[in-house]
Amino acid sequence: MRKLLFELGGTRAVAEMHDDVVPKTCDAVWNVLPVEGMAIHANWSSREIMLHLHGENILRLPPEGPVRRGTTAPGDIVYFWRSPQMSRGKQLAYSSQFQRELSELAVFYGDPAGGGLAADDPARSGRDSNLQVATLFATIIDIPKEFAQKCEEVRHNGLQRLVVRRLERSA
Amino acid sequence: MTRVKITLGSAEAFAQLEEKDAPKATKWLKEMLPIERQAMHSMENGREVYVVLDASDRIEEENQTIYQTVGDLIVYYKPAIFVKPEWPRHIRDFLVIGFIYERDSAIRGMSGPLATNLVGKITEGIDALAREAPRMRREGFGKMRVSLALMNGSA
Repeated sequence: MRKLLFELGGTRAVAEMHDDVVPKTCDAVWNVLPVEGMAIHANWSSREIMLHLHGENILRLPPEGPVRRGTTAPGDIVYFWRSPQMSRGKQLAYSSQFQRELSELAVFYGDPAGGGLAADDPARSGRDSNLQVATLFATIIDIPKEFAQKCEEVRHNGLQRLVVRRLERSA
Repeated sequence: MTRVKITLGSAEAFAQLEEKDAPKATKWLKEMLPIERQAMHSMENGREVYVVLDASDRIEEENQTIYQTVGDLIVYYKPAIFVKPEWPRHIRDFLVIGFIYERDSAIRGMSGPLATNLVGKITEGIDALAREAPRMRREGFGKMRVSLALMNGSA
């Protein structure tokens, strides 16, 4: 089982990849690591921070694994892709790339995870619409309290650098 | 006809209170003003900014809607878990006042739509709020102030 290391504001968390359930997604994510950028807090899906993938790191992956409906839990790491069709509103403050398409790694760090509008908006849930892909590919088994606290601070204090790297055996 | 001024960071906006359709809530709100509190961005409803209020009196349901839209100034009880990761366990919700600055938003409770008291409509400055709120989301949130506006628009 491969492992990932998440580093945020001097704190760390380790996630185990679900190689046996979603091997193609795990391979694709593994192959773009390490990635880093400024993590931003979720607007629709409660206690979640996101790392948007840019440039050559953008992943456009098909759905894989079992369909999940309302079962997001703290510790889940989800690959998320959003179709340009899903971009709504004026989004005056966002880049043109963000306004068209979104490819990200989502870290659910606390309760409620995945709650709110994301949970019951048909266009945001499930894969029936083909407007988005949300694949659970890794899980932080025990979320360090300090890491969760840093995630919560992103909500109030703004962007924070997040690094995601392979956790090799020697690390 | 009462107008209130909403200040968020460098953005200013004005809202017309819904005194005809929400007489009790708007009367209560006017007595509360000015309000200046730490602003928070919704993490469950989309493009909503709000502040938590201290209110010992229970606010009645009035002029409610589950179909919030851009420019709505709303007062409601937000589930506590959406406000703080940890809170006194006997507290289930917090009274908040907030506004919707973009489409693609809807107020949610723990299990679906949440009705909110519509107390006003933002009539000026919504685009300024729609720029300032995402900026604060990236750079950190400051305070939001709601105050009575004078006839010439100042507060």
